[in-house]
Amino acid sequence: MTETTLTITNAVGLHARPAAVFYKKAREYKSKITIQNLSRPDSREVPVSPFQLLQIGVLQGHTIRLRASGEDEQAAIAALAQLVGENFGEE
Amino acid sequence: MSIELRGAGGAPGIALGRAVCYRPAVDLPDSAADADPDAALARLAAAQAAAAAALNALAERLRAEGQPAEAGIFEAHALMAEDAYLTDEVARRVREDHQPLREALAATIGQMRADLEALDDQYLRERAADIDAIGQSIAGALSGRASPLRDLPAGAIIVAPDLTPAETAELRSGTVAGFATAYGGPTGHTAILARALGIPAVVGLGAAALAIANGAELILDGAATLLIVDPTPEQRAAYVQRASDTSAADERRRLAFRGRPGQLADGHPVAVWANIGHPDEAAAAMHYGAAGIGLFRTEFLFLDRDAAPDEGDQYAAYCQALEAMAGQPVVIRTLDIGGDKFPKYLDLPHEANPYLGVRGLRLCMRYPELFATQLRALLRAAAHGDLWVMLPMVATLDDLRWGRGQLAAAAAALALAGVPHRADVRLGVMIETPAAAITADLLAREADFFSVGSNDLTQYTMAVDRGLTDLAARYPHDAPAVLRMIALAAEAAGRAGIPIGVCGELAGELAAAPLLAGLGVAELSMAPKAIPAVKQRLAELTLAQAQGLAAAACAR
Repeated sequence: MTETTLTITNAVGLHARPAAVFYKKAREYKSKITIQNLSRPDSREVPVSPFQLLQIGVLQGHTIRLRASGEDEQAAIAALAQLVGENFGEE
Repeated sequence: MSIELRGAGGAPGIALGRAVCYRPAVDLPDSAADADPDAALARLAAAQAAAAAALNALAERLRAEGQPAEAGIFEAHALMAEDAYLTDEVARRVREDHQPLREALAATIGQMRADLEALDDQYLRERAADIDAIGQSIAGALSGRASPLRDLPAGAIIVAPDLTPAETAELRSGTVAGFATAYGGPTGHTAILARALGIPAVVGLGAAALAIANGAELILDGAATLLIVDPTPEQRAAYVQRASDTSAADERRRLAFRGRPGQLADGHPVAVWANIGHPDEAAAAMHYGAAGIGLFRTEFLFLDRDAAPDEGDQYAAYCQALEAMAGQPVVIRTLDIGGDKFPKYLDLPHEANPYLGVRGLRLCMRYPELFATQLRALLRAAAHGDLWVMLPMVATLDDLRWGRGQLAAAAAALALAGVPHRADVRLGVMIETPAAAITADLLAREADFFSVGSNDLTQYTMAVDRGLTDLAARYPHDAPAVLRMIALAAEAAGRAGIPIGVCGELAGELAAAPLLAGLGVAELSMAPKAIPAVKQRLAELTLAQAQGLAAAACAR
């Protein structure tokens, strides 16, 4: 299992277009990928899906933990971290 | 007696019209086949895929029409329609709770909606309406139901509990005067889309909106988020006056410039034409005083469908635009897909750099039959007006020669079959690659006209993806490098005595239009609404002043 903790800095948080970009990237990997919004105490660890990304309500400044397990888990986490680091290619 | 309802948000503008009440169709009973859980879930999967495909098709269409932000909304919905959480939850209810498929779907959608409504962020709460929209798309696909909003009377104000973004977008043609919904907030998609489409709307009026009778007289004031039902004669008179005052300044300008040719202060002519993405828009082009169509994008014919359009469909669409323009020139761009938009029926390999790959004319080289069909339709339509054919993504003289060869072959085939057509149409090239701009002198020997596609020319000249907003701001489309490319093409066109226009967004910008005239561009083509203001701006400068501005802009 590979995991990383990241802070979301782009203005709209992790929904709308960024969420779509994030989900499509996650879908490229075979590993099972989960996400948890550490900035919401009641938020559970959930699989990455378009709805779950909305539901965990990641806003600007929130911290998320990503976990991946599977054959390409390291590549998956690296790619998703890069996407977040580059603000999903916008702004 | 008049009733006033206040909404939570909307899209500005005033609409006076009659209520057309829209209610989502009542769900049909479950299919007998759904008794078997496996069969029911297979039907669900098919419905999810169909809903996603329909939403993606709508997104493609909006993207082709230059509405990328709206397209993004439907792409997101398409992803959500096949969401794993949704699928798993419906499956659990069907298998473990033995719920009928529709009940399971409705319960799942309801629960997902409730989950979002419980969040502490208004934006996220309003996405709850998206979940409903997605549920309706899937339920609609399950019953094979088409969109219920067709054949609306002119001036209709749609009154609905809420509208899905897909419904809002499908209603964007000229007949709908406004939207009034009982639910939804200021940042909901109905309000966002209505603003983008320029249609007045009031959303979040509450349940009272559902008591409005079909055909009731309504006044909708989007800026005040106010809906008046059965207005008094005084209210009606006041709003008729206000509606005319609000648009009076724009309207005065439109009327002042409508019949006037585009020209500089000293009378130097600069033709002002319109860009359209559908033949229906030619009426708007005429309304705003376009003297021609400088860019008719034909992608709408190709994108939103399962098979390539036949020659007859294309012929009818081209004739429609020619008829609407009453003898004025109509420049029709041949199929320009590739890059970010692909129809399903073409099997193209994945490319690492699609904008540098098989797009525009190159795609037509890959599918010569597709291109030949379009050329035949164009040549036949050319008998009914002043039709020019424009090739996109030309980089070499060979590209142009290939296009001309195909056109000649299409004309020969039509002649042989005895089909009425016109063979001597003007054939021009888009200047949108640096290669075309730099070798414009060569292209000008064999092209009948040039049209600068400034959006792609900027992307290829500055090496900047036009989707990257921060980079695009740093490397704008009026950068000296881009203007010098245009100057090269204009000079070559001038020497060869062929017309040159600009049909990218640059042409419709008030600051850029005089520069382009100064560079020697003879025709500017833009969104119809931009025409009166651009004509006004052009009339303020002499050619010498425009040339001075252009020289300065090329060297800044």
